[in-house]
Order: sequence, then structure tokens, then C-alpha cells
Amino acid sequence: MNPDRLLVIFYGLFWLVRINGCVRRGRQPLLRGREWFFNVPVRPDFYTGAGRRLLHRYWMRMLIPFAIDIPIAAAIFLSGHIALLNWLILGLCALIHVNHVFSVDLAERQARALGACVREQPVTRMELSLTVRRLRDYTNPTLEWIVVLSFAFAFAWLLRQYTSAARHPDPRLVFGVPLVLLYLQIGLLVVKRVIVAWRSPVPEQQACEHVRIQEETRRYYVAVCDLCRVSGAATILFWLVQLNVPDALAGRLLGAWFAAWIAVGLVATVWAEIKRKRLVALALGTRPVTLPDFLHQREIARWPVCYQPEAPMLMLKGARGYSLNLANRLAQLSAAYVAGFAVLLLLLKGQP
Amino acid sequence: MYLTIDTADPRPIYQQVADGIKELIARGRLEEGAPLPPLRQLAADLGVNLNTIATAYRTLQDAGLIVIRHGSGAVVASRRTTERSEDELVRPLRAALTDLVLSGLSPGRIQHIVMRELKMTGKDGK
Repeated sequence: MNPDRLLVIFYGLFWLVRINGCVRRGRQPLLRGREWFFNVPVRPDFYTGAGRRLLHRYWMRMLIPFAIDIPIAAAIFLSGHIALLNWLILGLCALIHVNHVFSVDLAERQARALGACVREQPVTRMELSLTVRRLRDYTNPTLEWIVVLSFAFAFAWLLRQYTSAARHPDPRLVFGVPLVLLYLQIGLLVVKRVIVAWRSPVPEQQACEHVRIQEETRRYYVAVCDLCRVSGAATILFWLVQLNVPDALAGRLLGAWFAAWIAVGLVATVWAEIKRKRLVALALGTRPVTLPDFLHQREIARWPVCYQPEAPMLMLKGARGYSLNLANRLAQLSAAYVAGFAVLLLLLKGQP
Repeated sequence: MYLTIDTADPRPIYQQVADGIKELIARGRLEEGAPLPPLRQLAADLGVNLNTIATAYRTLQDAGLIVIRHGSGAVVASRRTTERSEDELVRPLRAALTDLVLSGLSPGRIQHIVMRELKMTGKDGK
């Protein structure tokens, strides 16, 4: 099957998943009932007054990714550069999440500013678990072996094939995709480590429930991360096979791979939806609280990006929403990683 | 194994962190050689200034309870503080007892509180 056609089908399925996500996010403000607007307790008349406008604005913001997507996708289809859909999908994935996080924060701040909320008192006593979590406690050895052996085998095979060939093909053609996959694999491992280490203080009241939610959330994201890593391992093996089959078979093989990919994607989507529903049910069992702000983040972080070496957090909750702290090591590491990825893609750009 | 921070507590945050870790060590929840979260990570988790946790860790290091190793974080060094005279150790207890007496509690009640706290502190210890 033509790769462009496969990409268009994938883009169509991506739309279906996004519509589902958009509906789910649209329901979020009222999940706790009409006494709440997200995690902000509101007065009974909130949704008949100014709150209604806030809710509509939030819903409109959830449509921003669609508004950006449609003209770009139209331009891609008209120009015939269908491969660019890959980048569009990648960009939209990031945009949807960033847009959602910022929209929720903005809606909550606007609701508080309206004065239509029940006054929230920050909790005075909070607890932080000091249990040191290690990566190996969240690691499935079989899965790790599969990933490691897949990559080692693929690189060893490709190297052997490349060196023993009578006429050396362009190394970027042979090693380009595996190198990108290896780079992504390293990035995912770092992400997994960050997820395992992540923790935040919980209020003394309902501490056990809050800790349980944190742990369930952690396990969910670790599983998502592992799923992506296994997909990477499977892709590198597929690449190996794809390079070695006759051209006549390559199209059919790509079609079979794509069908398998869609089937796994569907199962993974259903699994993620079930897990997410479970997390939401757990979260609804606890009362949202405001934790004390020791660093006066509203005053030190006024812009979407800030540099605060004294504040060790990656994101600060500033006066105008979240602010990325460039003094944080993780922010610097992420910037270096993205830059490295861009350099890698530039080096591979001339791939035939 | 929780560290409790109370904004209503008159003690500064660094003191609360140091006292909390001290308590966990005294109760045996943090054993010798147990790693503590890295300074930067603990500060980020609690949402406090880096210096706050650095001061807390330094206090614990000065007391001989933890060892800070550059690059590999902090570990519990001992369940005993560095040698101090009995008079020096009794001084904070005397101050606390004075507060309890001045608050109007009867000697019997104070004795009960002291015994309960002593029992609590030694409860998980080995």
C-alpha cells in the first residue's frame, strides 16, 4: 500500500481520537458537580451568571487545535506533501496538551478573580513521602531485555550488512531510522526516570487517598512510557525486515505493519481510556486543596518563561499561568535533547 | 515515612524539615545508610527555596546524623548525634517543660505527655 495513503488513514483515525478527547476535556469543569468549576468550589448561582461565559470560553479554547489544524492540513493536502502530516500530528499532540493545561489554569484563575467562588483556605499541614523510589522498582526485566536485545540485534545486523556489502549504500539510509529510534528510546528512559522520581506534598487530611492517586497516576504514565518504548523496539525490527525484503513484497509488508499498528493502537486507546476513568474516579473521591505557596510564585513568575535559580521547580505557577523555569536542570536537559534531535534530523535530511 | 510541614508551626521550614528527618531517624524509619532525597529534588517537591533544604541538611550533618556526598546525595550516617554534654541535651527539654508548666498543665498531665511522646519516639526504633 502507498505510504501516503496509510498516513492519510492514520490522520483520519487521529481525528477520531481527538474528537473523543475534546468531548472528555469539555466535561472536565463539571465532573465534580455544579458546586465546582474544575477544582474551584463555586457558589450555586455560578453557572447561571458569569460562570456560564467562562465555561463557554473554555470550550472554545478546546477547539483551538482544530482551528490551527484544518488550514495547515488543507495546505498539506493541496500541495501534495503528505509526509508533512507526520509533523502536523506530532505538533498537534503537543499543542493539545499544552492548550488544555493552560486553558484549565486560565479558567480557574478567571473563576477566582470573578469572586464567584467559595473562599478557599490553603491547607496548613502537608506531608511529603520520603520513600526513595528507584527505577528498577518500576521496571519489568523481561520488557527491558526485549528492548535492549531488539536494538542490539538490529544495530549488529545492520552494521554487519553494511560492512559486508560490495557497494556501500548511503549510511543515512541504513542507520538513519534506527538512530532516530535510539534517540527517542533514550529520551523515553529519561522521561520514565522523571515520572518515577516525581512526587508532591499531600494534605494531611486524606493523605492516603492522595498518595494512592499519585501512585496510580505514576504507574499509568510508566506503563504508557513502556508501551512507547516497546513500540520503538518493534519498529526497529520491522525496519530491519523492510530493508531486507524484495521491493515487490515491501508494499504488502508495510500494509501489514500498518494494520498491526492500528490494531495495537486501538487496544492501547481502550486500555488508556479505562485507566483514565479509574484515575478520575479516584480523584473525585478526594477534596481538591490548595497547597501553601512558600516561594510566592505569583510574584516571581510573571511570564510564560522565567529564570529563577532559587526556585528548584520546573514549572512555577505565576500570575499569568504556568511559567517554565529555565534555571531548572530538567528544563535545560529537555532543551538540549530537543536541540540534539533537531541536529540529528538535519544530519539525516539528505537521506535518499 | 512522611515529612510533615505545618505552616501554622512557629518553627521555620528548614527546622521543621530537619526535625522531621531527625524524628524518622530516631524512630528507625530511616536506618543507617538509607538515602535521603537529593537536595534539589526535595526542595522542588516541597516547593521551597533551595537554601531552605540546604540549611536543613547542613543542620543534620552538623549533628552527625547524615553525610552529604557531592554528586550522590545524602545518606543517614548514624542514629546517634555527635557527642554533647548532658546539660546541653537537657536544655531544650527544660525549655519545653517550662512552656508546659506556664501553660497551666498539672505536673501529672505533663508527666503523662512526656511519657506518651517518649513512647511514640521509641515506638518504631530498634
